[in-house]
Amino acid sequence: MGFVARLIGKARRSSPWLLHFDCGSCNGCDIEILACLTPVYDLERFGVVNVGNPKHADILLVTGTVNQRNRQVLAVLFEQMAKPGVVVAIGACALSGGVFREAPNVLGGVDRVIPVDVYVPGCPARPEAIIDGVLLALEKFREKE
Amino acid sequence: MSDAIPLVLIIVPFFASLLCLLSRSTVCRSFIVIATAAMLAVSSLLLQGPLAPDAGLQWAGLIDPLIIGGDFLLLAIMFVLGCRYRHLLIVLLTLCQLGLLSFLEFFVFVEEQGHALWQVDGLSLTLVRVVCIVGGFICLHAIPYMQAHENHLLPARSRQPRFFAVLLLFLGAMNGLALTNDLAHFYFFFELTTLCSFLLIGHDRSEEATANALTALWMNGAGGLLLLLAVWGLFRQSAQLDMNGLVAAVAGNQAALLPLTLLMAAAFSKSAQLPWQRWLLGAMVAPAPVSALLHSSTMVKAGVYLALRFAPAFAGTLPARGLILAGGFTFVAAAALAISQRNAKKVLAYSTISNLGLIFACAGIGSPAALAAAVLLIIFHAVSKGLLFLCIGTAEQQVKSRDVEVLRGLCARMPLTGMVAVLAALTLVVPPFGMLLGKWLVFEAAADHFLFYLLLVLGSSLTLLFWVRLAGTLLASGELAGFRPEKQPFLSRFPLVALAGGAVLLALTAPLLHNRLLAPLSAQFAAGGSGVLSTAAGSFPLALLFAVAGCAGLLAMIGVSRAMAGRKGAAYLAGANAGLPGHFVGPMNRPVRAVAENSYLVPLFGEERWNLWVNLAAGGLLLFMLGGALWK
Amino acid sequence: MEVMLTAGLSLATLPVAILLGGLLSGIDRRLTARLQSRQGPPLSQPFFDVLKLLAKERVVTNPWQAFAPVTALGSAALALVLFAAQGDLLVILFVHLVGGVFLVLGALASGSPYSQIAGQRELWQMFCCETLLFLIAGGLYLSTGSFRVSGATGLPAPLLFRLPLLFAAFVFALTVKMRKSPFDLAGCQHAHQELVRGVYTEYVGPHLGLLEIAHWLEVVLYLAVGSLFWATGWGMVLLPLAAFLAVIVLDNIAARLTWRWMLGRGWGVAFVLAAVNLFWLKG
Ligand code: SF4
Repeated sequence: MGFVARLIGKARRSSPWLLHFDCGSCNGCDIEILACLTPVYDLERFGVVNVGNPKHADILLVTGTVNQRNRQVLAVLFEQMAKPGVVVAIGACALSGGVFREAPNVLGGVDRVIPVDVYVPGCPARPEAIIDGVLLALEKFREKE
Repeated sequence: MSDAIPLVLIIVPFFASLLCLLSRSTVCRSFIVIATAAMLAVSSLLLQGPLAPDAGLQWAGLIDPLIIGGDFLLLAIMFVLGCRYRHLLIVLLTLCQLGLLSFLEFFVFVEEQGHALWQVDGLSLTLVRVVCIVGGFICLHAIPYMQAHENHLLPARSRQPRFFAVLLLFLGAMNGLALTNDLAHFYFFFELTTLCSFLLIGHDRSEEATANALTALWMNGAGGLLLLLAVWGLFRQSAQLDMNGLVAAVAGNQAALLPLTLLMAAAFSKSAQLPWQRWLLGAMVAPAPVSALLHSSTMVKAGVYLALRFAPAFAGTLPARGLILAGGFTFVAAAALAISQRNAKKVLAYSTISNLGLIFACAGIGSPAALAAAVLLIIFHAVSKGLLFLCIGTAEQQVKSRDVEVLRGLCARMPLTGMVAVLAALTLVVPPFGMLLGKWLVFEAAADHFLFYLLLVLGSSLTLLFWVRLAGTLLASGELAGFRPEKQPFLSRFPLVALAGGAVLLALTAPLLHNRLLAPLSAQFAAGGSGVLSTAAGSFPLALLFAVAGCAGLLAMIGVSRAMAGRKGAAYLAGANAGLPGHFVGPMNRPVRAVAENSYLVPLFGEERWNLWVNLAAGGLLLFMLGGALWK
Repeated sequence: MEVMLTAGLSLATLPVAILLGGLLSGIDRRLTARLQSRQGPPLSQPFFDVLKLLAKERVVTNPWQAFAPVTALGSAALALVLFAAQGDLLVILFVHLVGGVFLVLGALASGSPYSQIAGQRELWQMFCCETLLFLIAGGLYLSTGSFRVSGATGLPAPLLFRLPLLFAAFVFALTVKMRKSPFDLAGCQHAHQELVRGVYTEYVGPHLGLLEIAHWLEVVLYLAVGSLFWATGWGMVLLPLAAFLAVIVLDNIAARLTWRWMLGRGWGVAFVLAAVNLFWLKG
């Protein structure tokens, strides 16, 4: 691998910009994600920026269940991310539908609609687990090269 | 050979105009217009100054009575018009002029000495070339435009012969106005342009058009009266009508200040400066070629031409300071009013008024740098603004609206016209194009005039704002499409492309232009061969700017082609994109168009709010100038 | 020969300016984090961000989004080089405006409602900065008799003593240019609840990266203009640095205001201050 390629790889792993999409969660997991950005956990140490725009995001964090209504939105957001990007599903709901999986309008986990790279379990997922998930996602960039 | 050219430039359009009036066949008329335009353009380029002082004097005996006769004929026509439309103001103004003119011609001017007939220097050459070349292109564009115009309006009898006759007559009048060296002749041509503008504005004969044409007639008639008064006053001071001689003779003469100020006031009305702006705004009801020709690139330039001609005699006086402020005020106020406009033609109209204000301010400063700046502004403004009017007119015929919001995304519907309009708007505000070069010279010249410098800064920032907004709105297609020029007649496209090319080329050759036209005017400039324009206080590295702009443009185009090869996405709409471009999924799964209009800030900059105050302030400044002339 | 040397030296400022701009951005993020009792990213973070962006996929909705970043970068770079060559401040300001013009054009061309609204605001922000900077150029002329940057160097006393109110106006313009609260209306990193990322919303990957570099250069240019107020010795560095730090602190203690406020009170006050200063110089 050339120097430039290695530098780019390093840059990718050092500068993950997150898009957080609430796909119909109970807000439990969302609050834990925001907690990661607070002084206690300070995800920005790793260069993480919480962006509001899929076009600028490298990592898509999805919480909550996928239902008939929001599946399109999820798909569009994923499609609008510039490559390379990874998807992290957070919380039991995003993994499988969680406690809502029996509801008639619920399709199930995020991976029913878009490919997921990292699964972070928990109800809600703990901030430490989320940080681990994000760092694991960064390693996925290495695989994608 | 060169001696006869001025006469050719005036007589040929007059004759062509007559021919147009007589010919009922479209082909024949188009041929006459094209031939005249070509001939004017070539002769204007062939014309070189300075001419011998006695050039054309052999015809003076013939010309003088003709022009005096013409004067009375014009005033008679205006009188009849005033009676026919029952417009008391016009009748009164015309009667005053008739009385004054008879008095002057039969009792005062009789002892006039013979003098050079023509005045061919950098300033008049500039105006003549603008009139002949830009005006010529506009006439070409008018041929298919008027065809489509009549197809739309369907008058019982084609009124094109009259239209083109007046158009060509107007070109001749402008040439005469620019070239003559006799103030009485100048008055004749001045009035002739007034009448032409009345006929052209009222061309469509709708109620609105007639009303606005009458406004233009009385405002310009008032200007004519002021001009006549000024001529009288100046003649009393130095007993000559020789414009060149007059400027030298009355410089520094306190008693000549009042007529000079009246002259400036007349120029103000011709150039639609505040508070005379109403006629130009109203004139926008006219077909697009009229707006382009009269109200952006040529007729309104007659006023600034007059002001610049007499600027050397005026500079440094108290009324000149008033002129700087009045011009600067117009520059800012018209730009601010332009911000609130949704009507694209009105944006153009206000910006024209605003730019002319800047030129007047330059005339008031009167330093060589300022005069050079003024001439550059005249040239670049004429090309870019004429072009913009043509583009908006072309678009208007297709889109059937001149509302900026309806024209939004024009570049997708009419790629060529849209892109040319964007380019024209950019040439007005972005370096290295010519307008910025002119503005830079104004900044350099203005730095010693504190208040004007403030106005200049404000006005040019506001100008940038509404031009970029307009260009961006035209671009806002949001869709990705290859550049496929729309179909349009050759005579519509050719002027657009040629003028757009001209705007770029002229800017590229600006230092050359500067040397050729203005070097005598401003000896203290050194426009070095290295493509750097320098003044005492700064330098403008034009060649470098062009080189970098060229490289950046090229790189940007490479970037564009690479991006076009890559993935294309839709705009971000919170993930709710509905498949259709610019639509999101709304209630009941229906696509809804996402709309965000421009902010026109009407409560802040609206005409209703400001018109009264702006007019009062501008009127106050005019009175200040007059008062300054009387004082001491 | 001398011309070549000047040209070479001026060109050499470009890489330095890019490094400096990135570093300043890093300091900004670090300092902001500290003010919020966080640790913050390493100083090199902005470089990694830009490198990553440059290596990402190109996606455009409209060709102008590919056109604008190059022109923006070119104009910022040329303005800086002209400044380093001690050129005419007016020309430098004109050139630097081109970048803003194309940034807005690209944003408006995308047809996205967010960019559209932010584009209008960006135009007003440009208006604020432009007017004040031109007044600073006027101040430079009135106190040195020339618009050339070289006029400010070698003065016996720093310009700050003659142009204190203009310096206040400069700090206001710097706040607007750095897209900091209270005037981060058109495209700051934190504007996402309201306008996503404002004018930058539709610029993706490499295009965003180029714009980021252009923005660094612009901030450096502004700081360079700030250094004119104290163009001798260490003051040349310390004064703009102090302004820069002040802006960051202000960012962290102020809330975002509306554009009306920016125009009415912020710009209005700054403009009057600047005009008073010019008047006083004149009189
Ligand atoms: S996983 Fe638990 S906390 Fe998270 S969204 Fe689902 S129910 Fe809420």
